[in-house]
Amino acid sequence: MPPPLTRRRFLGALAATALADRLRAQETPRGRAEHCIFLWLGGGFSQVDTFDPKRVGAPAERVAGSAYPSIATAVQGVRVTEYLPRVAALMDRLTVVRSVHHNVVDEHAAATLRVHTGRPTTGTVAYPSVGSVVAHERGALEPGVPAYVLIGYPNVSRGPGFLGPRAGYVYLTDTSAGPAGLTRPADVPPDRQATREYLLQQLRQPGAAMQGYDQAIAESLRLSGPQFLRAFRLEEEAGALRERYGGEFGQRCLLSRRLIERGVRFIEVSHNLNFLNGTGWDTHNEGHERQHLLIHELDVALAALIGDLEQRRLLERTLIVVATEFGRPSAFDARGGRSHQAAAFSMVLAGGGLRHRGAYGATDELCQRITERPVSIPDFHATIYASLGVDPARTLYDGPRPVPITDGGRAISALFA
Amino acid sequence: MIPPRRSRLALSVVFLSLLGVGSARGQDQPRAKVHVEICEAGLSEKPEWPKDVLAASDRYEADALAFFHVPFKYIDTGIRADRANPYLLRATADVVFPAGKHRILLRARGASRLFIDGRQLLTTPFVPKISDGHAPIPTDYLDLGPDFRFKPPGNREKWTTFESKGSTHRIVLETIVGGKRGGGIMKQDLGETVAAVSFAGSESFHLIAPVKVITYTDAGWREFEETEWARLHALEAGRRKDALAQHAAVWEQRRADAKAWLASTPEVKVPALPKGMPGHNAVDHFLAARIEAAFQAGDEARGRIDYDTQVRPILQTKCFSCHQGDKVKGKLRLDTRAAALKGGVSGKAAIVPGLPEKSELIARITSMDKDEKMPPQGPGLTVDEIKLVRQWIAEGARHDSVGVKRRPVPGRADDLTFLRRVTLDTVGVIPSPSEIDTFRVDNRPDKRAHAIDRLLGDPRWADHWVSYWQDVLAENPNILNPTLNNTGPFRWWIHEALLDNKPMDLFVTELVRMRGSHYLGGPAGFAMASQNDAPMAEKAAIVASAFLGVQMKCARCHDAPGHTSTQKDLFELGAMLNEAPLAVPATSTVPKDKLHQGRKALINVTLTPGTKVAPAWPFKAFLPSPPGRGVGGEGTLARTRDQLASAITDPRNERFAQVIANRLWKRLMGRGIVEPVDDWEKNAPTHPELLRYLGRELVRGGYDLKHLTRVIVNSHAYQRAADADLKEVDPLHLAHAPRRLAAEQIVDSLFLAAGKRMDTEEVSLDIDGGRDIKNSLSLGKPNRAWMFASTSNERDRPSLSLPRVQAVVDVLEAFGWRATRQFPLTDRDVSPNVLQPAILSNGVVGTWLTRLSDEHGITRLSLESKTPDELVEQLFVRVLMRRPTTDEKATLVEHLRVGFDQRVVKSPAPLLATKRAPPKYVSWSNHLTEESNQIKIELEAAARRGDPPTPRLQAEWRERMEDVLWAMLNSPEMIYTR
Repeated sequence: MPPPLTRRRFLGALAATALADRLRAQETPRGRAEHCIFLWLGGGFSQVDTFDPKRVGAPAERVAGSAYPSIATAVQGVRVTEYLPRVAALMDRLTVVRSVHHNVVDEHAAATLRVHTGRPTTGTVAYPSVGSVVAHERGALEPGVPAYVLIGYPNVSRGPGFLGPRAGYVYLTDTSAGPAGLTRPADVPPDRQATREYLLQQLRQPGAAMQGYDQAIAESLRLSGPQFLRAFRLEEEAGALRERYGGEFGQRCLLSRRLIERGVRFIEVSHNLNFLNGTGWDTHNEGHERQHLLIHELDVALAALIGDLEQRRLLERTLIVVATEFGRPSAFDARGGRSHQAAAFSMVLAGGGLRHRGAYGATDELCQRITERPVSIPDFHATIYASLGVDPARTLYDGPRPVPITDGGRAISALFA
Repeated sequence: MIPPRRSRLALSVVFLSLLGVGSARGQDQPRAKVHVEICEAGLSEKPEWPKDVLAASDRYEADALAFFHVPFKYIDTGIRADRANPYLLRATADVVFPAGKHRILLRARGASRLFIDGRQLLTTPFVPKISDGHAPIPTDYLDLGPDFRFKPPGNREKWTTFESKGSTHRIVLETIVGGKRGGGIMKQDLGETVAAVSFAGSESFHLIAPVKVITYTDAGWREFEETEWARLHALEAGRRKDALAQHAAVWEQRRADAKAWLASTPEVKVPALPKGMPGHNAVDHFLAARIEAAFQAGDEARGRIDYDTQVRPILQTKCFSCHQGDKVKGKLRLDTRAAALKGGVSGKAAIVPGLPEKSELIARITSMDKDEKMPPQGPGLTVDEIKLVRQWIAEGARHDSVGVKRRPVPGRADDLTFLRRVTLDTVGVIPSPSEIDTFRVDNRPDKRAHAIDRLLGDPRWADHWVSYWQDVLAENPNILNPTLNNTGPFRWWIHEALLDNKPMDLFVTELVRMRGSHYLGGPAGFAMASQNDAPMAEKAAIVASAFLGVQMKCARCHDAPGHTSTQKDLFELGAMLNEAPLAVPATSTVPKDKLHQGRKALINVTLTPGTKVAPAWPFKAFLPSPPGRGVGGEGTLARTRDQLASAITDPRNERFAQVIANRLWKRLMGRGIVEPVDDWEKNAPTHPELLRYLGRELVRGGYDLKHLTRVIVNSHAYQRAADADLKEVDPLHLAHAPRRLAAEQIVDSLFLAAGKRMDTEEVSLDIDGGRDIKNSLSLGKPNRAWMFASTSNERDRPSLSLPRVQAVVDVLEAFGWRATRQFPLTDRDVSPNVLQPAILSNGVVGTWLTRLSDEHGITRLSLESKTPDELVEQLFVRVLMRRPTTDEKATLVEHLRVGFDQRVVKSPAPLLATKRAPPKYVSWSNHLTEESNQIKIELEAAARRGDPPTPRLQAEWRERMEDVLWAMLNSPEMIYTR
């Protein structure tokens, strides 16, 4: 029975909704990436000292500029700091988005939330993190593994918000510990676990009301079994490869690759090992002095990850993101460090089947303003989602309330072939 | 209260001191107690001692010159308030020293000085400038003996010798608490402000005390701290009581007014108990009448589709957000039969009884047309759902229940099941072994009523209810740098209000007034909402949903399709809390371009940003206008907060009492009479008369939640056996359905079942007190689950981790506790997920609970049991509160029989004593050093290892026992009520 032409239908046709939808669909590119490794450089990494180099300044005299000289890369015309030689050689596999911006600079937590959820703090909606949205939309690639793994400390910004616990993460704080809740205690070897499960089985005869929980028990026993947990045995990897990845951060990247191979969809890896320079990427004051150690560690790990994924033919289907809560100004503070800057900073995309170009967007001579192709956080998120085949405009529901996945974000179409 | 004699004495001390005759102090009558004075006036904010002797504004007594907490100052009806910052604490003790040369130790967080007989003996300095992260791990510890207690974080210490001829000395300890440094306000922490003495010839120190002998060792301090906390809490409770007594006249008048209102309005008629139905009290009469009606309807209409249980849930999820209640889209209501038959603006009947194909509802839910289909957004109805609705219409589309099949009402649950349920529902944990024993041997016929009375008098009632109000009122403190809609820690106010069993109208009044301390746990903490550009609009929405069942969260930005409250209503209410007009911030709106995308917008924006909305009471339907006069002769209420509190709690506003009664009903019975309990626009009450009855009963009982609890849990309906197959609570309350315990109940019950102390770090990242009170809170060392908070600091530094706190938080979060409460929530998600059993079975807390360490409760049980049989029986009662089945018993006894007789190690090798060493602590002040990361990484590993196993049990058998305990603690029934 064809519906009659109502007034609303008529108006709808006039508004050309369908046409607008078609146009939008054409505009929204879709990538084919299956996984995402989201490297989080907490503290706010300094784009002028890494991926958006400017003229060299002088901390002592408080002359603004980069801290280190820059070098050429595999992409002509794109330069990065001299502490990123390995990444520079792979520059055609990645794109530095140099024109990212938002407006939260005062507090790390608020800016971290902004970059993870793409939304400001509100009292009415708890927005999900990018990892939770991907977990919710795409689930794990294989059964029996979690969709979203966090290698770092549990934080609010990384959580599932209104999507609820099913879109949450399994976390571990260092690669040797294994994930919280899934790693058996050291004094429970397999035979003892078998005894425990046998005994539990005797007590597990619940009525229908508890059956859901009973099934969760069965699932958790599987998940904490040897099959998934084997991913965490980095010692299975060749010594040379482990060395190529470098220190703890590199080992986290290597673990991410192993998790991807088992079907984990989204992995957030925290790189804020502040013992290298005292402050991690939050390079105020003295923290700046040994910032190059952090940059070096990033260079080693990121290059190894890109190379390793490429060799295993996983790079095309794995989007690597290097993200941070904000950048830093080219000016120096009184003790030789840098404060925060959100008006113009860089984030990096690598692999994932995108058409990489070394760099996208540009800033002025001291990175104070964006001069070309500004990319908002929703735009940046939209690019991540689109590359993973998720429609950034899709509507999620917080109860009855519709919430688009991104707040009007538009993917960077130049990166899609 | 200080007796007058002491006041005179204190004055004379001040007088003599002013004359500079300090030594004359020793000539007063010796005192058996330490006399503590708090001086709030006359101190400079600079780090310097006052030149004059300051007059005390507060006094109390203590046992020793040892302070870690000063009783709070309480104002109004008994809420915490801030003291002047800084203030001076002066403690005076008369102490007999033996003759000889003694060592004297002074330590404190703030500047301190110690006088003996008027002579200054020792001082510690003012709080030094504490670095913002880069300070070294401290090494400057005194070590004055083999059992010497090292100073805890953030204290400074000095010692000297003092020669006594063997007489009474007057010893005075003074310390300046808090103060300003740079632009910051310091927390008023005492750290461990202590004067201690080691008498000649002794290696050990004692706290300086007039009468009590308290060793100042780690163990001695722990014991002292415990007894001292109990004493201080009692003291504070007394102060709150005194404060409230000052307002007794007002509240007595309120009670009288409420009684008068009750008398002037008709009582709800309690129906007769239908024949053959069990019943204890009026609650059962109401429920049974409804059950009988459903039975009768069921007798008549067998096999038809039932609206209540089959159709309504579909409409509820897919249609009601726009087509239910007083405010609907397209002027179409689907929640009443008449309205659905009439249809909306389209002019077509949504439902034509008997003719699904003529019903517009069917056309719309099956439409593929983008502009026609319903619901317009989100997933539509499934094929099965459409089929069901179609058949329901074909059968005549009756909106009333077609009833249920007649069946017997279940009897009461057995005694242990009842005890477990009622204990969880009143004090939040399973019963302890001694509570079980007491109940089991009680032979009185009304033993359940006695157990209920005992539980309602138990202070743990407060622990159980704090977490509920933390959720409902969005209590959301952050221990570091408030950012994401953070509030003050008003959990402490909630807890004390519950301890004092403050009536609900007083509770609401204190909350809405938002007075007292922001950071120490006064209701003022509720007023805060960091990074929120209209905190009072936020709070208004919270108050409306918590106490009036009005959901206004959408109204923050627009008028919502499913709610009658407008944005203007919300901002009017917010302005009442603001006590001034409230402007709509630029972010609290929806841009025009987002409103109109294709189909007609579902929402309306009626206020433009920047509009200033004046205070007004928007809920005229509940109470025509806010009373201009206080209910209790408080005179004219000039302040809009007082007007609001009064309007909410006025007995004529029946909505309030009913909302509270409904909240309680839901918690105890598993399903609200109105659902959702925080949004009454969606559904009519299932038992309207019972709801009115309970509301009036709350008023009659003086708004005492315990009174109403007593009524409900004494009912047969509450005490009925549960149906283990019931997945959702039956709206008729024929049987109980198992309910998943709340996260806090799970954690607290597990620790109780294991007999294990909850031993975590202090919930703070600033344990040495170096930071500003505004950006670093301490929430203390938790002993119940509600006391935890998020460890999230978005910094990813190992040095800022709290491994033991995190271990518990992981369990709590898996089961639905919110580490941050950015918005209010009444019903948590209790759906199972894989992390729940995982974190219990493999997590760090799981290790703590199942490792039979020396002080573990099951270790003792294991040592004392005579036979495996007895052990298994006791375990079941203790952990699962039931007798084992024959099969269960056989399996477990067989498992534990192996090695049972040899399990006790006759002369166990003592556990390796850990070497005494000064604590290496990490606080914000030193968290950026590499060593701080190492320290925390080691602590995390230690937390994961858990306590060492007891050497008193032979290892192989111990592991068998641990495995049995593991299985019991991980069984599904552990986390459900039965």
